[in-house]
Amino acid sequence: MGEATVSKMNSEITVSGRAFIHQHAAHCESGVTAALFRDKGVEISEAMVFGIGSGMFFGHLPFIKWVGMPITTFRSRPRTLFPKVAKRLGGKFFTKEYRNAQKGMVALRNALSDGHIVGLTTNIYWLSYFPNRFRFQFNGHNIIVLREIKNGFRVSDPILDHPVDCSTEDLERARFARGPLEPKGFMYWAETVVENPDFRSACLTGIKESCYMMLRVPFPFIGIKGMRYLAKNIIKSPDKLGFPEACRRLANVVRMQEEVGTGGAGFRFMYAAFLQEAAELFGSDELAELSQEMTAIGDIWREFAVVSARVVKQRGQSEETFAKAGGLMLISAGREEQLFKDLDKVARKLKA
Amino acid sequence: MKITEVPQDITFYEGERRACYALNDEGKYVIVPSTGWEYEEVVNGLAVNELAAHLEETRKEVLVGIRSPLFYHMESRQMNPRILAKTAGIAVFRVKRHFRPEIFARLKPSLLARYAKALALSVEGLKIVPGKRDGRGNSK
Repeated sequence: MGEATVSKMNSEITVSGRAFIHQHAAHCESGVTAALFRDKGVEISEAMVFGIGSGMFFGHLPFIKWVGMPITTFRSRPRTLFPKVAKRLGGKFFTKEYRNAQKGMVALRNALSDGHIVGLTTNIYWLSYFPNRFRFQFNGHNIIVLREIKNGFRVSDPILDHPVDCSTEDLERARFARGPLEPKGFMYWAETVVENPDFRSACLTGIKESCYMMLRVPFPFIGIKGMRYLAKNIIKSPDKLGFPEACRRLANVVRMQEEVGTGGAGFRFMYAAFLQEAAELFGSDELAELSQEMTAIGDIWREFAVVSARVVKQRGQSEETFAKAGGLMLISAGREEQLFKDLDKVARKLKA
Repeated sequence: MKITEVPQDITFYEGERRACYALNDEGKYVIVPSTGWEYEEVVNGLAVNELAAHLEETRKEVLVGIRSPLFYHMESRQMNPRILAKTAGIAVFRVKRHFRPEIFARLKPSLLARYAKALALSVEGLKIVPGKRDGRGNSK
């Protein structure tokens, strides 16, 4: 393990004097969880965390609107990945929510002075170190606080490739922002971890759950079914909603796929990286082949993004159409269905 | 995606870079920082420009007295009445009433202070909107 993770290193010193290596990650929750484990001496990559915590997902919820648009998600619900990984790798984590902002900030300072590095759930809008165009009211961003500095905190945000400073005011607002999925000052750190966790059984549990979520959830908008539903919706959307609104919807899907920290192609490449690591762990050629197939599917998703962006940009003047974009999504739905069926079989055959 | 295919089209993230998973020459996955993808700019641009255009419209409405400055500042913080109401600790129906300029003008200083705190503005700043067109106008 490890090769798939390290691209840029940034060394920091925590309160207790240990070295902390900031590693660039694609996604906040998996990045933070991996960093908390690494800090306790368990060498684990972001992709591994993502796979073990069953982060792979697809859902399109047409009846829940967020900023006026139906929710499309390529990942499991925020704040489910971290507890799953903790459970499957046998770590004990301190977790707590706070109602009162003052108490929450005092608790953070106490935790830091006790020598912990602390994971926090925050609202991304109030973190002003972010590029402006990516700041929006979303309450599920995870960061790690390393230590207190003058007028603020030293923060390791896995989305960025270097640690940053965050002012106390920003951090307090971000932790206690209101609205949907309120973070409520949620704070967590690793108390104890198992020294040599059973990666093999954790991987299998993670894989089996992901297969279930993608293939067999008895609910129409989840997994492969959700993909097909959305694809057909996209094909019909210009007639149903009118061209401008259809463009907005399509652009929103692509944003969820590429923009919100997915490592490319809506987490598909990250999952391929996980399958590759798992293949090494089990010495399984079948898993290695599935990893390659996942990469190929990811490339189709990228093509979908390209076609969609051209549709949006050309305003119907190009040869790219909604039908083509939706068609690409149907293709990746079909191939993902086969992939997860195969993966399920392989996972059942392998011994932990 | 191979390393050579990781988009480095534009400096889109205001100098920051984003992690992408890509295959190296040996077929191994590595994390590669990307500076930006032109297609991503298209879809992000659509959303960002829409927000900016909407905000500009609101600003004009405030200047001609159809809406109160509170409405403008709520939108510039990308909030909706429900989020603002919860943040300021004021009931939603009252918040919506305060979007009317004549009612907003009569608000008690204590209420104004609560709104100002919720929106991270000064009380003075809360009462005005930018006079000239200044783009997005929501930098902190």
